[in-house]
Amino acid sequence: MSSLTARQREAAQALRASVNGARGEHYWRALESFADDPRVHELFPQLRDMGASLDRRAFLKLMGASMAMAGLAACSGPPSDRIVPLLGRGDGAPPQRSLFYATAVAVAGEVAGILVETNEGRPTKIEGNPEHPLNAGATDAITQAMILELWDPDRSQTPYRKQAVASWDTFDGDAAVLRQTYGKDGSRLRVLSGRLHSTTAIDQAGQWLRRFPGSRWHIHEAIDDAAVMAGLDLAYGRPLRPRLDVSHARVILTLEADLLGDMPGKMKAARDFTANRDPTTGSMTRLYAVESSPTLTGANADHTFPMDASDIPGLVDALAAKLGVGLQSNPDLVFPALDAIVNDLKMHIGTSLVVAGRSLPAPVHACVAAINHALGNVGTSIHYLPVEDIESGAGTLAGLVADMHARKVDTLLILDGNPAYAAPAMLDFAGALKKVRQSIHFGLYRDETAALCDWHLPSLHPLEAWSDLRAADGTVSVQQPVISPLYAGRSLHALLGGIIGDVDNDDMARVMATWKLSGSAWDEALRRGSINTAVTPTVMLGAPRVAGTPSAMPSSQARSADAVDVVFRPDATLWDGRHANNGWLQELPRPLTRLTWHNAALVSPSLAAERKLANGDIVELRAGKRRLEIPIWIAPGQAPRTVALALGGGRWRAGQVGTGQGSNANALRHTDSPWFEAGVQMIATGRRRELASTQEHQAMNGRDIVRASTLDAFRDNPSFARGKPTPPSFYPDRSPGEYAWGMSIDLNACIGCNACTIACQSENNIPVVGEDQVRRGRQMHWIRVDRYYTGQPAAPRTFHQPVPCMHCEHAPCEVVCPVGATVHDSEGLNLQVYNRCVGTRFCANNCPYKVRRFNFLEFSEWASEQSKARRNPEVTVRSRGVMEKCTYCVQRIESAHIEADREGRRIADGEVVTACQAVCPTKAIVFGNVADDATAVARAKASPRSYALLEELNTRPRTTYLAAIRNPNPAIEGDA
Amino acid sequence: MTQVFQPPFVFLVKLVFLAVLVMAFIGIVLLRALTAEAHAVNEAVEQPVPFSHKHHVTDVGLDCRYCHAEVETQAFAGIPPVSTCMTCHSKLFTDQAALAPVVKSWETGVPLQWERVHQLPDFVYFNHAIHVAKGVGCESCHGRVDTMALETRTQDLSMKWCLSCHEAPEKFLRPREEEFTMGYKAADQATLGMELVQAYSIDRRRMMDCSLCHR
Repeated sequence: MSSLTARQREAAQALRASVNGARGEHYWRALESFADDPRVHELFPQLRDMGASLDRRAFLKLMGASMAMAGLAACSGPPSDRIVPLLGRGDGAPPQRSLFYATAVAVAGEVAGILVETNEGRPTKIEGNPEHPLNAGATDAITQAMILELWDPDRSQTPYRKQAVASWDTFDGDAAVLRQTYGKDGSRLRVLSGRLHSTTAIDQAGQWLRRFPGSRWHIHEAIDDAAVMAGLDLAYGRPLRPRLDVSHARVILTLEADLLGDMPGKMKAARDFTANRDPTTGSMTRLYAVESSPTLTGANADHTFPMDASDIPGLVDALAAKLGVGLQSNPDLVFPALDAIVNDLKMHIGTSLVVAGRSLPAPVHACVAAINHALGNVGTSIHYLPVEDIESGAGTLAGLVADMHARKVDTLLILDGNPAYAAPAMLDFAGALKKVRQSIHFGLYRDETAALCDWHLPSLHPLEAWSDLRAADGTVSVQQPVISPLYAGRSLHALLGGIIGDVDNDDMARVMATWKLSGSAWDEALRRGSINTAVTPTVMLGAPRVAGTPSAMPSSQARSADAVDVVFRPDATLWDGRHANNGWLQELPRPLTRLTWHNAALVSPSLAAERKLANGDIVELRAGKRRLEIPIWIAPGQAPRTVALALGGGRWRAGQVGTGQGSNANALRHTDSPWFEAGVQMIATGRRRELASTQEHQAMNGRDIVRASTLDAFRDNPSFARGKPTPPSFYPDRSPGEYAWGMSIDLNACIGCNACTIACQSENNIPVVGEDQVRRGRQMHWIRVDRYYTGQPAAPRTFHQPVPCMHCEHAPCEVVCPVGATVHDSEGLNLQVYNRCVGTRFCANNCPYKVRRFNFLEFSEWASEQSKARRNPEVTVRSRGVMEKCTYCVQRIESAHIEADREGRRIADGEVVTACQAVCPTKAIVFGNVADDATAVARAKASPRSYALLEELNTRPRTTYLAAIRNPNPAIEGDA
Repeated sequence: MTQVFQPPFVFLVKLVFLAVLVMAFIGIVLLRALTAEAHAVNEAVEQPVPFSHKHHVTDVGLDCRYCHAEVETQAFAGIPPVSTCMTCHSKLFTDQAALAPVVKSWETGVPLQWERVHQLPDFVYFNHAIHVAKGVGCESCHGRVDTMALETRTQDLSMKWCLSCHEAPEKFLRPREEEFTMGYKAADQATLGMELVQAYSIDRRRMMDCSLCHR
């Protein structure tokens, strides 16, 4: 206002007074009256030129003319499309619409080797890399959903300084100051990172520590294997990581370990486990699972023993004593099956495996190491890998926070972490951060931590950056960018290099230098996606020391009658909350609870009955001063007095999708015992929150939906699952086409991991509908994985069953469609023609399998350019009012058809791979031409275990199932 | 007795009739506007460069595939990169005003933006490669390109038009070696067509399947 004249200032003041005096309706009238106020013209002289120069007659003339113009313009039709050619072709190769690049991503504590499909340069789909030793062509759900994260409009797009948009140049200036300040003495400079999977990053961390002498590197993962490494340290005198080889194990005992669900190397474990469970070979691996909360491993085990978390160390004691390695037995233990299990293990010396989960304390891991040694498993089914020096030498988060509180930290660099959310709340990381002079956050999102830091720097997405990643088995994969950075981010390597002053190299050169690769060897590594020579040698070890007794845990005595144990678990899809803004993962039903969008405290049926709690009742959990309010969910198979909490909920700055979904279990976590809390009070609050579960019916109500038997019974009657011969039908049979597409799903191989659901969502442009719509049963997944229980709720047997469209030969949906929008094609596909569909929903009502999905609202996202770029261009995006369902990936069938027809040959078996089939880690889904007896799918359908879902309806589904076979130990009583 | 319909009422009725007429007219115009194609059949489409197929095909004698190189392997026939233009035009007619945008594009690296002439709805998945492999000539859909000074659309590209060939491919098929010929006429299309359906193993059972074009 300084440039105003005194007169203008006066006018402005008078105006302000008149506005301030105006209230209510008068306020608006006052605003309107301003236009005529001479004082306004005094203040804004340019308004005079904008005065109303039109009289009524001129206005009408103009109106008429513009309407006529609008009419003319409308006649020209929609805007025309443009074609933009390339300038030139660099390599001379003909352009292809879709290309696959081998790369790798670090997800859920492990490394996945992947192939990324790009369409005209846009990454649209992730497949497993068949040449990668861990993945072997498959991926898990979280890896699949990375593509959505890449295109997430909420990703951080520019640096922020003091919460205001800044530039990298400004940061580089700050970094130069940093280099000067800490060049001699770096003791007040700290780095907090997650686990470093990249050898190049580890080398850079070493350079960092040399460049800034005295500086410390801290590593924190909300979900880590610290107890495992500490336990092996107790046993062998050095921290180690176990590497499991399930293919050599014929008898497996898991103790709180989700071998198939959340442990590093789970994909390979699932594949090897399933490969050894083919009932036709006559022998099957046997799996015993002891767990306090149901896991995928327990669901697939032959015997599952729910057991309270605080009792499990005692069981390990007794087990060790029986095997002659323990110090004392446990007379209080009530576990009738123990002798049978011990005998089974002893009969498989060198081919058994005992696995303890990350939530058990270090002494238990030491004891389990001794048990595996006594069983001769070291070197066959279990190997040990050394831990990187940077990791074993790194500081902890608790140590860092203590130093921050003590004002020993001036500058803190937080790399790819979100401790303000993911650290136990009792640490008060946010409070400690206020005592740090300069805090720098580097990450994909402007999250909870970024909001508290002085600097926020956007990182590149793993699909945009070069790196190298070492997997659980030591395989090193090359991570290569598949698209240029979408936003102004930097890679971790570039950031570290920039700060330490190593700016000459680019990231690719850094990775090449780390592995001393160049020329054709580098090209080959890029093509394969992995560097073959880089496998870490396993460690040869002597006999382990048995250190202490696991049952001497401080917490196990502290149980009073009304207190419960609380265990913490990674969320099956959100992991530690870092994927909370991923709509696909939020909406993916958790494998056992089928819950979406909100985590819950899992309680056993008996505890719920005792406390008179129902699903969705909100309870308060109290452990000392720590409090958490969370709705409960009654989980069959949950240990009686243990409550399980999934991490990853309750983010308050996750983004448009994830903010506010779920409850933050970190509020209850203790730094010293992050996985287990005994003596927790559970108090009902009397309030409720309706949770969105996709499956309300747990029982099969007498129908043979999932058919299962035991190995012994299968030997006696291999055809137990076969239904009655197909009855005659009033509907005429269709004339056969050149191919007859069909699918077979092996329930003995399906572990229920849900990867197929996300693969399908990614391939077929399936929208996310949100929590409220899921509550109304309007989720859109084309393939769902149903979960059924049999037996007692306290210790049930769990089965998973993927259900896509059955592609019935006599499809009930087709006869009721009034507009012919759902019809059969000549090769047996039940088609949904979107542009014909008028949305009567008759078809969905007449479908006995409930596989049809209706777009009740405009679920497809059109708002952001990113989501348009992400979609598969080969699949139509559906709008409101249209029915949709599984198409057997008709776009993939058509591409294979065109390819083969062009070359004048038949489509080979295995040439058409559906998205769900491709992603399946256990190869449970087989697809192909059922009319040809030589195909894999025809062989599967010829199996005595093959059956059709609801075959009594005579719909003649093209999708059929192979019955599940379990291999229980006959020496153990009862239906386990 | 007074009249049932007083003059003001009659006037109102007339007004309503008029309004209905006007709204019907507006409705038709709107419907036409919303569903019209960008360019009408046989309407020359203005391009950033007045590219003449007639000159390049008839006068120069270029094969279709010299520029539309992917037509035999890809769904999209391919618009040539500017480098293809430059194989000749780095030497020829470089000073012509009509060619200036091409030269400028080559020098600045900013690609040309051609107006699309043949446009299908997004829910139709047309594939050039398979049609070329099965004996459908360019001319059958694109007309006599060799006579077009400016590219025009000669067919309405409606589903009815697509199906006229899918129902009876023998009426239109030609030998593969004649696909790129302009003005080809078979001596006896009926016999030749039936032979080609056999020879190119065209599976007539699925020619009318919805899944062939809609996914």
